[in-house]
Amino acid sequence: MKKLSVVVAGTGQIRDVEIQPGTTAGDILAQLSLPDYLLSKGPNEPFFANAESVYDKVKDGEKIFASTKAEVGETALCA
Amino acid sequence: MRVKDLGSRSASASVRGLISRWVRGRGPAVPVDRREIPYWQERGWRREGSNAYTGSYQTPYGAFQGWIEQDGSGHLNFFLYSPSNEIRRHSHWTCFQHRSSEWYLVHMGRQPKDVSSGIITIERLITEAYQQ
Repeated sequence: MKKLSVVVAGTGQIRDVEIQPGTTAGDILAQLSLPDYLLSKGPNEPFFANAESVYDKVKDGEKIFASTKAEVGETALCA
Repeated sequence: MRVKDLGSRSASASVRGLISRWVRGRGPAVPVDRREIPYWQERGWRREGSNAYTGSYQTPYGAFQGWIEQDGSGHLNFFLYSPSNEIRRHSHWTCFQHRSSEWYLVHMGRQPKDVSSGIITIERLITEAYQQ
């Protein structure tokens, strides 16, 4: 088991969770009722995919971020 | 061998403190409150009036001056001042719309629900631009 502190970027609220091996980013977000959010280890780190297991990628006691989905540009116009 | 008794004297304050802590054991842990502040505030952005923010997008490659305003409908507009050549070479450069002076509006295809998430998105994009 690992403990994580999830910081909700918009409010700064910190939610503490405990995860088991195999827990995915989607599991954590569902547990915290944050369906429209994405998890990352920080602003300069990539987002965890919903189905990605985060257990092996985080340290016990680590702080991770939850932010809402946003994208620069529109596929048709910019990508 | 003969031993000469030199009398006694009190231990120094540091030695007394060490022994006293050893006898008493550790004191109770003092919980430290965690700061729960929005990301924009943690990153040093300032609120200007009721609907604008000023600050910088911070990345490992530097801090980039920014401006955010929320229009009447709640729509957030993110601006970046004087984008660097690295940003201009990024595949999303076409999403930067020139406004006035050196200010560029960053067009969001998918709007963030809060200011902090938008700042994170732009910081990630700038980082990407420098890593390409």
